[in-house]
Amino acid sequence: MKIDLKRNCPFNSDNVPNGDVVLSSRARLARNLEGFPFVNRATASDCAEVASLLQKISNTKDKRSALEWVNMDELDTVTTELFVERHLISSNLSNATHPRAIAVGPELSRSVMVNEEDHIRIQSIRPGLQLHEVHADVHQLDMEVEEIISYAFDSQLGFLTACPTNVGTGARFSAMLHLPGLRIIKDLQRIHNACNDMSLAIRGFRGEGSGTIADLFQVSNQVTLGSTEEELCNLLANDFLPPVLEWERKARRVIAEKQRSKLEDQTFRSLGLLQNARLLTSEEAMKCLGNIRLGVCLNVIDNITLPQINQLMIELHPAHLRYTFGKDLPDDEVNRCRATLIRNIVDS
Amino acid sequence: MPSCDHCNQPAIYHDVRIVNGVHNTTHLCVEHAYEAGVDVGPVDFASLLRPEESSSAPKSTVTACPDCGMTIAQYKKTSLLGCPACYVTFQDNLINIIAKVQDKHTQHVGRSPSQTNVDADRHIQIRRLLRKLESAVNQEQYEDAAALRDELRELHNSSEQHED
Repeated sequence: MKIDLKRNCPFNSDNVPNGDVVLSSRARLARNLEGFPFVNRATASDCAEVASLLQKISNTKDKRSALEWVNMDELDTVTTELFVERHLISSNLSNATHPRAIAVGPELSRSVMVNEEDHIRIQSIRPGLQLHEVHADVHQLDMEVEEIISYAFDSQLGFLTACPTNVGTGARFSAMLHLPGLRIIKDLQRIHNACNDMSLAIRGFRGEGSGTIADLFQVSNQVTLGSTEEELCNLLANDFLPPVLEWERKARRVIAEKQRSKLEDQTFRSLGLLQNARLLTSEEAMKCLGNIRLGVCLNVIDNITLPQINQLMIELHPAHLRYTFGKDLPDDEVNRCRATLIRNIVDS
Repeated sequence: MPSCDHCNQPAIYHDVRIVNGVHNTTHLCVEHAYEAGVDVGPVDFASLLRPEESSSAPKSTVTACPDCGMTIAQYKKTSLLGCPACYVTFQDNLINIIAKVQDKHTQHVGRSPSQTNVDADRHIQIRRLLRKLESAVNQEQYEDAAALRDELRELHNSSEQHED
């Protein structure tokens, strides 16, 4: 399939709602087909059969928004890894060997993973705080899938999933947050407490079990049973996030007022490094971009925009670099190309 | 009820084969049936669990899901269930686990599938029966194959009536 990274990057748009703190919003629904074993117990022929039944979801009437069906085995390594970096598919789906597929929207924000841990993982990801919008996206896809197959469903436990942690609605809503202000004033504990009180999970940028990088945190609902999809979405969008956005903005105002020199130093040091470095690891680049992001939000510098930073935070990953600089790019050239890509943006 | 050929447990799988005029009968309990890799189909595990019907049998014999063969030990290892029927088979074990991971909730209150997709259900059922039929023919289980063929015919007829 043909991908145009500039056209297909939803993160380079202006006027993203609450984009100063929320990088992206994501929703996913876990579903399984009635009459088939779950993927971990299924044979290759079961998986192939599930995929063939689901392939019809790419035949929608509206061709502009139609999902493109791709069998994972037919996808080249770089595109597969690029989809993982965009969070369109999981590493599990990428690394598996059984028959599996992805149906992906032309804008690379909606996708349906076929034969991941569950037969169906419907998901949508959008920039900024757009949880209700991503919920609407996955709900629409859910309805379309429901027209062609029968879901495994139980009146007591709801949609049945391979792991009981997803049973019920099968819905997981998450927001990627940039919280440098709360980290600097040492008030992150407040976020952890709020998450505990509301049964929300908080993780570092790289997902489950990973550390934090560039002050990025992912918050999502832990519980999927006993609430409706709307209630779970509201818990994050209406109950948790508004006070958190206020805490982070207040912390940033305090820093801009009381630690101005330190803030300016941190921003310009990071900018200087990105303008001059000839080799950059992804960790170093992410850390500098995180610092510059705070500087941009607090009007310390204005020669780079938030959409540009957001886009760089995605395009600095290896598969994206290979897509831009050549699919055969050797590992030892990746750091050089990353530095070149970023320098071209921050210098201009 | 005949006992398993390999142990004294009640047999839930019975196979009769006539090869060159010679009858070969096989009776297997749940564990030996799964060990032999045969498709045992739906089994009334609740009846096996009841002490009055199998007082001599230890409770641990009934640990496999009738639909997919998953055992509770395997579930504990991976935290993944094998199929939708596992939720029924292991409901006594699962309900506590679900309450624990789902913040004490054990009742779904969200949306239900909007309607039963009769066409999709029938389609899946036909495909599954065809697979079982193929496997029965390959294993020369002609009595089973004949029963599956009749079932398919019935399903096909009801499908035509539905379309009318």
